[in-house]
Amino acid sequence: MQFLFRLSNLFDRVVSTIGVAAAWITLPLILIIVFDVVTRRFLVLGSTKLQEMEWHLHALLFFLCIGWAYIKNAHVRIELVHERLPRRAQLWIEVLGCLFFLIPYCVIVFYHGVDWWERSWSIGEVSDSATGLPYRWVIKAALPIGFLLLFLSALTVLLRKVIQLFGPPNLAEAAFQLEQKEREPTEAEFVAENGGRKTGERQ
Amino acid sequence: MIDVFIDYMPLFMFAALGIFLFSGYPVAAVLGGVGLGFGFIGIALGVFSEIEFFNIVSRIWGGIADNQVLVAIPMFIFMGTMFEKSGVANDLLYCLQVLLRRVPGGLALSVTVMGVIMAAMTGIIGASVVMMTIMALPVMVQRQYNMPLATGTIAASGTLGVLIPPSIMLVIMAELLGRSVGNLFVAAFFPGLMLAGLYLLYIVTLCSFRPGLAPPLPDELGPTNKTELVVLLLKGFVPATFLIFMVLGSIIFGWATPTEAAGVGAAGAIILAVVNRRLTFSVLSKVVEHSMLTNAMLFFIFIGATAFSYTFRSLGGDDIVIGLVDSAGLGSWGILFVLMVIVFFLGFFFDWIEITLIVIPVFAPIIELLDFGGHVAKIDLVYWFAILLAVNLQTSFLTPPFGFALFYMKGVAPPEVKIQQIYIGIIPFVLLQLIGLALVMTFPEIAMWLPRQLLN
Repeated sequence: MQFLFRLSNLFDRVVSTIGVAAAWITLPLILIIVFDVVTRRFLVLGSTKLQEMEWHLHALLFFLCIGWAYIKNAHVRIELVHERLPRRAQLWIEVLGCLFFLIPYCVIVFYHGVDWWERSWSIGEVSDSATGLPYRWVIKAALPIGFLLLFLSALTVLLRKVIQLFGPPNLAEAAFQLEQKEREPTEAEFVAENGGRKTGERQ
Repeated sequence: MIDVFIDYMPLFMFAALGIFLFSGYPVAAVLGGVGLGFGFIGIALGVFSEIEFFNIVSRIWGGIADNQVLVAIPMFIFMGTMFEKSGVANDLLYCLQVLLRRVPGGLALSVTVMGVIMAAMTGIIGASVVMMTIMALPVMVQRQYNMPLATGTIAASGTLGVLIPPSIMLVIMAELLGRSVGNLFVAAFFPGLMLAGLYLLYIVTLCSFRPGLAPPLPDELGPTNKTELVVLLLKGFVPATFLIFMVLGSIIFGWATPTEAAGVGAAGAIILAVVNRRLTFSVLSKVVEHSMLTNAMLFFIFIGATAFSYTFRSLGGDDIVIGLVDSAGLGSWGILFVLMVIVFFLGFFFDWIEITLIVIPVFAPIIELLDFGGHVAKIDLVYWFAILLAVNLQTSFLTPPFGFALFYMKGVAPPEVKIQQIYIGIIPFVLLQLIGLALVMTFPEIAMWLPRQLLN
C-alpha cells in the first residue's frame, strides 16, 4: 500500500508539472493574437502562420491540461445523486468509473492516436496551406501525449481511491488529505476567495 | 431479439448515458466510455468495426484541435476570470446603486443592469452569479429586501451571460451547427437585451405597487459633492465601457473575428487589473490555472461527446431520430415545440454543456429539414433555432432541483437566506424567460433584424 501511495504521488507530480506548465501557454497565446490583430493592419507578415500558431498552442494547452484537471477534480459531474451517497459508495463509483470508462477510453484513444500520429510523422506532414507552419506532425503528438497523461492521472485517482477503500487508516487519511489539498476550488469558492466584498466597502 | 437490439442500439446508448451520468462520474469520461462501450458491443454484433475508433481520433483532432474558432473559448474564460479578479465590477455596481437609489427597487434594478454589463464581458455564468451574490445580496438583506425578489433578480440577471455575447455557449453552438460565430453573436444581442428589459419591467412594476418589497437605499449613500460623483462615475464606467467596446464592438462592426476579439479582451482584462493595482503574481497564476482547468474541463467534454456522437451516428442514430420524428407526424412547428419542451425538461437535471453537446449533434439533421414558410427565411432558420435554444438553456441554470445558478448562489449567500426562498424567488423569472422565448418564437425579427442590418 505504501508503495502504491508513493506511485500515485509520482504520477501526480508528472501530470501536474506538465499541466501547470501547459496552462501558462495562455499568455503567449494572448500575445500572439494581439500581435496578429495589431500588425495585420500595418504589415503583411503572414497571418496564416500566426493563426496556425494560435490553434497549435491551444491544442497543446488543452490536451496537456486534461489529465491534470482530473487530479484537481475540476471535471464537471452530475452531483444530484452522487452527493447524497455515503462516502464509500462515492469511492467505489470513482474506482469503477476509472476501470470501465476512463482507462479503457484512454487506452483506445492512445493506441489509435499513436497509429494516427505515426502516419503524420512518416510523411513528415506540414500545414495544408502553402504559407502555413512546417512540422504539423510535431504538434499532432499533443493528442497521444495528452491521453497518456490522462491515463496516468486516472491511475493516480484510482490508486488513491483504492488506498482509501482498503488501505490502513493512516494511509487512507493521508490519501484523502492529499486529495482535499489538491482539489481546485469550485467557481463559487474561487470568486469568494479574495475578490468578494460587499459593494461600497473599500479595501 | 438481437435484431431489435441492433436496430435500437442508439436509443439504448442514450438510456445508458442517462443512467451513468447520474452516477456522478465526470460527464466527459461517461460520454467517451459509453461511446466506446457501445462501439465494442457493436463490434461483437458485427455492426461496428474496430478501425472506426481510428476515425474518432482523427475527428477529435480535426473538429476540436485543428480549429481556429474554438481558440476563442480559453480566451473568453481567461478574460472573465481576470475581470472578476480585477475588482472593476465592484466599483461599477456601487456606481449603479448610487445612481438608482431613488428609483423603486433601485438595488434590484442595479443588479439587473450589472448583470447585462457583466454578461457583455465574461460569458461565464458561475462567476457573475457568485460575484453579484457576494456584492449585492448582503446589502439587500440589510435593507430588508423581500428575499425571493432579491435572490431571483440576482440569479436571473447573473445568467444573462449565457445569451448576451460574447458567450462561450454561443461559440460552441455555432461550431456544432456549422454556422458563423459572429453572426450568432449579433443575433443574440437583442434577445438578450429583451430579456433584461423584461426583468427590469417586472421589477419596476412590482416595486411601484408594493414598495415594501424593496426599500430604497438611504439618501446619504454615495458621494457628497459633484466632483466625487464624477470621479465615481468615471471609475465605475470607463473600464467596463473600454472592455465591452473592445470586444463586442470589434465583433459587431466586423473588425475582428470572435477569436481575435477574445484575445484582445483577455489582454484588456489584464490591463484593467494592472490599472486597478490588483495584478500580483499570485493573482495571475491563480487566474491562469483556474481558467485553464475550466477550459480543459470543457474541451474534455467536447472530446467525450465526439466519441459518443460518432458511435451514435455510426450505429444509425440519425435515421432513428429522423424516423421517430417523421412517424410522429408533427410538422415543423410541432417538432420545434417538442424539442423546446425536451430541452426545457433536460434543464431540470443537466446544464448547458451536456445539453448542447449531446442534443445539438443529435438534432442538427432535423433542424436543417424544418420549414416555416414565410415565418423565418430559410437562411435564418438555423440561427433563429440556436437563439431559441440559447434562451431555453439559460433557463436550465435557473430551474430546480439542479439549477447551477441557484447552487452557486446558495454557496455564497448569507446564512439567513434559505434555499426555499431562492426556489420561490426564481419562479417569476422563469416565467419571464418563457415569455421571452415565446416572443422570439413569434417574432423572429427580434433576433434576425440586427444581423441583416449589419452583415447582410
